[in-house]
Amino acid sequence: MHVLIINGSPRVKKFSNTDKILQVFNEGMMESDNTYEQYEVSNRNQWEKIRNAFDRCDNILIALPLFVECIPGLLLEFLETVTPKSGNATMSFILQSGFAEGVQLRCGEEYLQKLAGLLGCRYGGTLVKGNNFSIRLVEGQERENMTAPYKDMGRIFGQKGNFEDEECRKFTGPEIFPAPVRLLVGLMFKTFAAKSFEKTAKEWGCTRPLKDRPYQAG
Amino acid sequence: MILIVNTTENKEITSRISEELKSKNITFEIMETADKKIGHCIGCNYCWLKTPGICSVKDDYEEILKKLVNSDQLWVISNTALGFIDHKGKNIIDRIIPLATMHLYFKKKQMRHVLRYKKHTDVGFVYIGEADREYLNKWSERVAVNFGSKSLGAFPKEDWKEAAACMY
Repeated sequence: MHVLIINGSPRVKKFSNTDKILQVFNEGMMESDNTYEQYEVSNRNQWEKIRNAFDRCDNILIALPLFVECIPGLLLEFLETVTPKSGNATMSFILQSGFAEGVQLRCGEEYLQKLAGLLGCRYGGTLVKGNNFSIRLVEGQERENMTAPYKDMGRIFGQKGNFEDEECRKFTGPEIFPAPVRLLVGLMFKTFAAKSFEKTAKEWGCTRPLKDRPYQAG
Repeated sequence: MILIVNTTENKEITSRISEELKSKNITFEIMETADKKIGHCIGCNYCWLKTPGICSVKDDYEEILKKLVNSDQLWVISNTALGFIDHKGKNIIDRIIPLATMHLYFKKKQMRHVLRYKKHTDVGFVYIGEADREYLNKWSERVAVNFGSKSLGAFPKEDWKEAAACMY
């Protein structure tokens, strides 16, 4: 199987969480006898190449971050320029987000299911998973721990060519966290996570409070 | 204040809405952005972690953001593509995220970002072209959840009077 992989993140490849996920996913996919070509929509210079590959390939995988409950504006802009296929291709998606619960990604997933049909493709399912915000903020083992589970999913996709396997459905994790977990995580947000965000902000050169209101309401 | 952002070339619709709202003495502002330079959100997270509340993309969107913090409602008028609002309409929504902070909490069992400003702006859409209205309404509800506000709904251009009836 030859797969066209489109990284639909508007963030440049170097800082793209979606790319870090794909690096590991692709390792798993390549354990079977597969080949792939990957492009980034964040690089407009690649758009013509992606359109050509889109016309040519019958197995298309679009990986994307959730942007305000649906697909990012830049990916939408690119997809507005492709010619829909004639129905013989399969289109699957990897949908990832910062929010951790499955329920946060369902509205986006629903659109992707429609999108495959609108682009003239059979829907091959969406691999849905959140809690990925920090991938680019960490390195080494910590990053590996976050991305490693995607290798198994790549392996399954490499064998089946879609995400219709039960294991892919389970990959999302909980739709909503149970009350005790929410309590614990909520406490973490106010303490450890808040400090961690402030530390990152300082490293990035931030000189204002994270809750600053630059455009104060009148 | 009602803020109406028209991302399309269709000025007839904003003219009609304008007449309607004037007749009701409603405070509103229409921004015609079809010819403005408004790019996409690049996902840099600077508005959360480097320049809190300020977008790193320096273009005409900042004008919208400044008005949003004083708006009770935001209406986006958009063309459609692929069953949805087109990328120009989606960019207006994607670029709203400086209104949220990096901090998180749980609300109604789901994680949410702590909002930056006290005023929470309701959102509505008027679309021009073919789209899945049921999905747009569902999506609009979810958009509103993110900004602690309510969805005013998605209306096809033909139903602009229904949309205008929600602008008060």
